[in-house]
Amino acid sequence: MTGNARRSGPPWSVDLLADLHAGALDPRTEAELRPLVENDPEAREILAALDATLDDLHNLPPIPMPRHVAERIDAALAEEARPTAPVIDFAQAKARRAKRLGWGAGLLAAAAVAVGVAVVAIPRDNTAGDGGIAQQDTTTNTPVTGSAVPPGSADLPAVRGENFGPVFGDVLKAQNYGPLENQEQLADCLRGANITAGKPLGVSPITLDDKPAVMAILPAGTPGAYRIVVVDPQTCGPDNPEGVLANSTIEP
Amino acid sequence: MTAAASSDADLITAHAAGDPHAFSELVRRHRDRMWAVALRTLRDPEEAADALQEAFISAFRAAASFRAESQVTTWLHRIVVNACLDRMRRRQTRPTVPLPEAGPGEPVAPRDAMAERETRLVVQAALNELPEEQRAPIVLVDVEGYSVAETAQLLGIAEGTVKSRCARGRAKLAKVLGHLRNQSADANVPVNDVQVQQGRQLEER
Repeated sequence: MTGNARRSGPPWSVDLLADLHAGALDPRTEAELRPLVENDPEAREILAALDATLDDLHNLPPIPMPRHVAERIDAALAEEARPTAPVIDFAQAKARRAKRLGWGAGLLAAAAVAVGVAVVAIPRDNTAGDGGIAQQDTTTNTPVTGSAVPPGSADLPAVRGENFGPVFGDVLKAQNYGPLENQEQLADCLRGANITAGKPLGVSPITLDDKPAVMAILPAGTPGAYRIVVVDPQTCGPDNPEGVLANSTIEP
Repeated sequence: MTAAASSDADLITAHAAGDPHAFSELVRRHRDRMWAVALRTLRDPEEAADALQEAFISAFRAAASFRAESQVTTWLHRIVVNACLDRMRRRQTRPTVPLPEAGPGEPVAPRDAMAERETRLVVQAALNELPEEQRAPIVLVDVEGYSVAETAQLLGIAEGTVKSRCARGRAKLAKVLGHLRNQSADANVPVNDVQVQQGRQLEER
């Protein structure tokens, strides 16, 4: 920095004085410059301008984290804190009970780990009985065809059954309504299952058992609780409870 | 253990011991300041949110092996700053979203606060125009109040480099903000700073 001393004196180098102002000069150069600067009105004016700039920066207001971002991060951390929570989705467990004989206990344990979240089935609307998410349990592997396939669907987060854990983080970070286009259409779809929803914490097109769907993560009303909903964008609507394919909560 | 009186170090210890709420409490304590840093360095709310989420998850996973060689806050803030810097390096140039005009808690004061709010907007706009290597230290030192030493540690650069980058950035800002109106504009002031200067002149009327 000593090289800058050659430029000391009017007309002053603003960069040199900014270095002086920031304490970025070596002590010797600073000692040489100080008396020159203090006796020069132009130099003092530049230092005052730098002080005013600092004041402007100091006075920028704090920016509190928006609530939806805080909730999203809380949800991600809550999910992270429950890597081995058991699957307790009663409706799904009921639907799968018949299959258990054919599966090893170790495989079930592995599936529970993969889910990574404790999923609790929520009763659907009064007319849906204990159907829960059972309506989506048409386990056909019909290939998705035609316009139902969003472009690039091969890259969409893929969910099998109720195994939301692997895609939870990705969906939480997304605000992509896909074929539903906007929050209003999602809300219309959820209204079909008597679910009132505001802005989701995260929403993304996914595939659910190879079918195009839209998954949303919503606040569930209590701290640390989140609701996962999946809708069929082809059929969902305010009059169609069947359009909601999954409706579960994660609880602390 | 997650009581407000617990220190950050206590919370990390509790987290390592399996307290499921300890880390969230730690994040809650620091998230506003980190959000401001992320937003002001990345200039894009979505990117800032993604960076923070990644950073906090990364910290969550690493926290069990945290050793008290540095303060918890420094360690946590460094992870956040690194996440932001990684994103800044990965992206090339992309349009940015204007920052919110005011914090959500700020009252709407139609007259007296208008000029002040405009000044803040002008300052934020000028800050946004700085090169990233200058903006990051200025945000940390001059806006968020980190010390030069802390900033050097957070950014992984020498203290002298922090000072000189701050000096370069402040010199540019002083010109852009009109504090050096009588000086010849010999710094590397971007073309669109003209708009910022015009904004300030409007505000000063």
